[in-house]
Amino acid sequence: MGLFSSITVRSPWLYRINAGSCNGCDVELATTAFIPRFDVERLGCKYCGSPRHADIVFITGPLTLRVRDKVLRVWQEIPEPKITMAIGICPISGGVFRGGHSIEGPLDRYIPVDVNVPGCPPRPQAIMEGVLLAKQLWLARLEEGEAGKNKAAHAAIS
Amino acid sequence: MPRFLKILVRNLLKGPATDPFPFQEAFTPDRLRGRVVLNPDLCLGCGICRHVCPGEAIRLEPDEGRTGYSFSIWHNTCALCGSCRHFCPTGAITLNADWHGAHPQTDKYRHAEHHFVPYLRCAGCGAPLRPLPPGIAARLYAHSPLDMTQVVKLCPDCRLTATAKREGERYGTTANPG
Ligand code: SF4
Ligand code: SF4
Ligand code: SF4
Repeated sequence: MGLFSSITVRSPWLYRINAGSCNGCDVELATTAFIPRFDVERLGCKYCGSPRHADIVFITGPLTLRVRDKVLRVWQEIPEPKITMAIGICPISGGVFRGGHSIEGPLDRYIPVDVNVPGCPPRPQAIMEGVLLAKQLWLARLEEGEAGKNKAAHAAIS
Repeated sequence: MPRFLKILVRNLLKGPATDPFPFQEAFTPDRLRGRVVLNPDLCLGCGICRHVCPGEAIRLEPDEGRTGYSFSIWHNTCALCGSCRHFCPTGAITLNADWHGAHPQTDKYRHAEHHFVPYLRCAGCGAPLRPLPPGIAARLYAHSPLDMTQVVKLCPDCRLTATAKREGERYGTTANPG
């Protein structure tokens, strides 16, 4: 496994959670940022349909009271190490919905966020930049994990 | 020629549909609303931008010693709607096309812009005075016969006194009859 993973390029799989978004950011994500015109698969990423397969998760929307528990449940199903991206100003700060009676956000009250892409909605290229940043963080985290495992193995032997 | 061959030739000539970004710079329209910027030299501190901002992205408050006011824009709650630019009376706040906003969580509260606009001191009494940019003063007082470069250096109270004195002189009474 060690040799195999050292000679292969890792490809993160992407997953999307809507936490009460107005749909603007979802449109940018699913139908604008990742259509052939921008082609996120060139960056070695791939959309997947199940949280259990995901590595990078995009969360849109201000985290409304109604979806909060469902979002948390789905987010917990994503295996570690995962990178959480807040897409749009809604999950980052609440945006134009900040202070609303049904708003439980900002997202980082509940979930450790790694990358923010502000905008309402952000333009597709900005999301791609965020994905590149997230991929870097994810690779670094994977390496850390591997190094940690190796250290543990060494400690067990000696 | 069969239709599919036509389409094939056309597509071959057109080249790939994929945008070269991120390997090349992305096409950005000049008027893209990417980021709010303030030109502190033009700002009056009127607060209209804060009043109309739907995301409450703008904070404007005097400092403790009342030497000026701080002006902050937090991009992480700015909806890029352009209302501030639309309503600003002086054109001090505007949006540029810089859309490179993605940042790691550690920079969440650093993704902002801060300015400090100092108050002027009233030439009469020394009270703090909001700055009035010369261009705006010229526009405001365009039809006045007075020398407004001096008047704008006074606070509202001193301006009242100056006007009273001037009018008094004009009508032949003294400003201080007592
Ligand atoms: S950031 Fe703007 S576009 Fe995106 S979900 Fe919120 S309100 Fe909609
Ligand atoms: S930026 Fe414009 S609207 Fe805002 S306080 Fe300054 S002058 Fe007023
Ligand atoms: S563009 Fe809109 S949301 Fe952003 S600072 Fe201006 S008024 Fe506020």
